[in-house]
Amino acid sequence: MSPAKNLNQTESRDNSSGEDENPQKTEENQETKPDKACDEQITRMFILGPSANISSTELVRKLHMMELPLTIKTTCYGAAISGDKDAVMNAVGEIRKVDPYNIFTKDRGFPPGDPRRCRAKRGGAREGFHQLEKEFELLDDVSKALKNPRKVKIKKIDKISPDEFRVIAENCK
Amino acid sequence: MKVVIFPPNSLILADLIERKGHEPLVIQREIRKKVTSAEIDSPPLNITEEEPIAGLKYAAIEVPSGVRGRMAIFGPLIDEADAAIIMEDAPFGFGCVGCARTNELCMFNIRKKNIPVLEVKYPTSREETMELVNKINEFLDSLEDKNG
Repeated sequence: MSPAKNLNQTESRDNSSGEDENPQKTEENQETKPDKACDEQITRMFILGPSANISSTELVRKLHMMELPLTIKTTCYGAAISGDKDAVMNAVGEIRKVDPYNIFTKDRGFPPGDPRRCRAKRGGAREGFHQLEKEFELLDDVSKALKNPRKVKIKKIDKISPDEFRVIAENCK
Repeated sequence: MKVVIFPPNSLILADLIERKGHEPLVIQREIRKKVTSAEIDSPPLNITEEEPIAGLKYAAIEVPSGVRGRMAIFGPLIDEADAAIIMEDAPFGFGCVGCARTNELCMFNIRKKNIPVLEVKYPTSREETMELVNKINEFLDSLEDKNG
């Protein structure tokens, strides 16, 4: 199912409860130690491939069942999670095991539901969605390639000498 | 190993690198630092007047401020990289990757850095996609060998 077709679907935003998950709460820390806070609070997107065994609803249910301190958001392409780096990476590892060849993940700069990017506030698709939509078309083939790996030779491109270049240039005249 | 990718926000490249146990250097990581700092609260202020100044490390003063501003984001990723994967002709022209001159400068900086680089073309068919994935995996495995 193409994410574009589901663009108008309603998004639900779920917090798996707990005060620590509120992104606003970390603002004080960010002011004093911006780099450390950035490293600790990360956002990841889960993108379900076209042949995935699970739906985004099931994906979100599984994320909730992990009982990790995460902000979880259902999206048309899968889900977005935000929280401490350790918890997020833990969830990424666990979710990949569910369907290793059809669940893809990617970092995201803005937190889920951020009013500066969220289409619920701005209208239209957010900037990164266009690229996601384009890459989504290739995901089925990517998962097939991952399932059936083949040995390939990588051709190394060497620099050419000035003499060789001169010959090529002269031939082009 | 830290692997810088181009386009710097590619889902496929970042995911494949992570599957092989390497760290993808993606633009989202740099953007996160910008958008979670308290003083920047609305677009298009993700890039402030500081960035074109920081970008002077990568481009001359005559270069448009937009290129220097973008290089302030991409540059640190390239500096940090131990290897690189470039996917040419990618049809991504949106947002911060939409500047052709910056893209050229980024690729130039990656190539002159003397690190292992894999250059591939954006696939347009199933066969090409499968070959791309196998090539990337082969390249990442060879990095592991070099790394011991």
